[in-house]
Amino acid sequence: MQTENILEIEDLKISFNLRDGTVNAVNGVSFSVRPGEVLGVVGESGSGKSLTARAIMNLLPRAADVTGGRVRFRKGDGTVLDILKEKRESATMRALRGGSIGMIFQEPMTALSPVHSIGKQIMTTLNLHTDLSKKAQVDRAAELLDLVQMPKPMEMLKKYPHQLSGGMRQRAMIAMALSCNPSLLLADEPTTALDVTTEAQILDLIMSLQDKMNMAVLFITHNFGVVAEIADRVTVMYLGNDVETASVDDIFYAPKHPYTRALLKSIPRLDGQKKHRLQTIEGMVPDPFNLPSGCVFHTRCTEALSGRCEISAPEPTHFDNAQMARCHLHQDQPGPVA
Amino acid sequence: MNTYNLPDDALVSVENLQMHFPIHKGWLGGKTGAVKAVDDVTFHIRQGETLGIVGESGSGKSTTARAILRALEPTGGTIRFKGPDGNWNDITHKSDDELRELRRYMQMIFQDPYSSLNPRMTLEQLVGEPMVNHGITNKAEIRDRVAYLLRQVGLRPETMSRYPHAFSGGQRQRIGIARALALNPTFVAADESVSALDVSVAAQTINLLQDLQDELDLTYLFITHDLSMVEHISDRIGVMYAGRLVELADTDSFFQRPRHPYSEALLSAIPIPDPRRAREKKRNVVKGEVADPANLPKGCAFAGRCPYATALCTEQQPELRKVGEGRFARCHHADELELKGTTA
Repeated sequence: MQTENILEIEDLKISFNLRDGTVNAVNGVSFSVRPGEVLGVVGESGSGKSLTARAIMNLLPRAADVTGGRVRFRKGDGTVLDILKEKRESATMRALRGGSIGMIFQEPMTALSPVHSIGKQIMTTLNLHTDLSKKAQVDRAAELLDLVQMPKPMEMLKKYPHQLSGGMRQRAMIAMALSCNPSLLLADEPTTALDVTTEAQILDLIMSLQDKMNMAVLFITHNFGVVAEIADRVTVMYLGNDVETASVDDIFYAPKHPYTRALLKSIPRLDGQKKHRLQTIEGMVPDPFNLPSGCVFHTRCTEALSGRCEISAPEPTHFDNAQMARCHLHQDQPGPVA
Repeated sequence: MNTYNLPDDALVSVENLQMHFPIHKGWLGGKTGAVKAVDDVTFHIRQGETLGIVGESGSGKSTTARAILRALEPTGGTIRFKGPDGNWNDITHKSDDELRELRRYMQMIFQDPYSSLNPRMTLEQLVGEPMVNHGITNKAEIRDRVAYLLRQVGLRPETMSRYPHAFSGGQRQRIGIARALALNPTFVAADESVSALDVSVAAQTINLLQDLQDELDLTYLFITHDLSMVEHISDRIGVMYAGRLVELADTDSFFQRPRHPYSEALLSAIPIPDPRRAREKKRNVVKGEVADPANLPKGCAFAGRCPYATALCTEQQPELRKVGEGRFARCHHADELELKGTTA
């Protein structure tokens, strides 16, 4: 594992054996996260982004098989942990989840327990991972709620999730995820269910906390606007493949994969140019039971090379600026291509 | 009652619409208050235009749409709809029987393409159902029309005998659109119709809606929380906050210079898919939370979060008033404020 990375995912493959056949939901995904950076993972539904996040926590659905690859995480003391080699319920994994790796989810109402107060839930995490006294736990919990800018933290400790608004619940969940000063925060669509003004508040909060605590963030979303605002680097996923990884500027201003280009063209922009038609990606996301041969995007790609893209899956091409694209268009041309 | 003059080409008129839901509490279930889901909302929609209504959850935008289509009976105000004969019909308190004939001209497309289609009906039954309901009995005629509609929304007519589960989210939304178009409506309300779809599929659906509008001369009420979508599709925009319409303007001037502080806050909160602009942008994130429509403050509902609020704002509820050609804002200070848009 490279020394500058905190998390490395290498050729990860996850499949489901179902009655109707095998679904290769994640099909050779590789990316890495450096300490203190925000990696945005974007993709449409079914691209395997959430499943990849669950693999990092070693919390895959029981029906899922890891058929290849590995996930390695560098702990605070510098030792490297091969996460998928650990047992799901092992002491090491349990210490890691909520300890060095915090996680926030899309729907705080289902992620929080409805029958325990916010304070109780934060203190349970503290109890598992620290040896603070009861009194110190209460103080720490209030301090955390203050950190996520909840008004009147001492009173908030006694509240139950149903008494809070969506934005407040998401703050409570962030407080819980941060309770043990994680070095990596996994955020799976944490603002998707929120209104824009609340979303802006939560994004600002995550960014300021990330800065303050110098933690790495893996931010999963389908919203390119959110990615542009918070990510340092971006991985674009399509049908279980990481099709492109680059710095946020390269993704937006010099995308190298036709899928990234097509997606960027299809989002409406506030640029004052009225009534132009939105560009679309032809066709639909293919049936996961029958993935296309070769490059999975070739059926919808406007730049597909016949005789090539439908035959073999492209290997990743690495460019000088640390950009990576999995596309045949770049295979024979070493060096950056516009 | 007429607060402003309706233009000749108006198709739908909403005046002082009010939709209050009673709150019952206690052992005897006595009425203790009301949720003012929609309060004093006035606007009209012109023939052939798209009016976008934006607002956050709980702002009353869906309730407004449902009241216009008379899925709800308003507790106050007037809703009028111009029939195909050119006459205005006051539909505010009409019974379902009386509405039946008019209903074929006003249709709705829903948000969730998974729960809005009956899983036990085939496409033919789903899309044909409105026709059966309106007395068309000839099977062959229905079948032809269903095939025509499916082709129109970009689905293959051969799939007519299949059930909704065989289709993806985007395709189901197309089925919902075909169903809404079955009776040749003049007015279609789309309530968050693309919110549940992926980026590329949402773009296809938006293009389809625009094509259909050109082809069939449809009038849309487009309800969404997504401002970039609304900028793309709408001719005019209405902004709702805590049950009230706080601003009404044509799209271009709205994005150049909003006239209500809440509109400015909304515009500044949209994440823009452009990293360089995102870094330059100074965001003034509004603090606090949306006002509770069951317990609205005495003055302006936005005053508590508004950076420009004065003593007047907490004391007195502002009226929706004209602030320019075709522009209305519900703000005491709309004239003196220089608010920032996104395209100026």
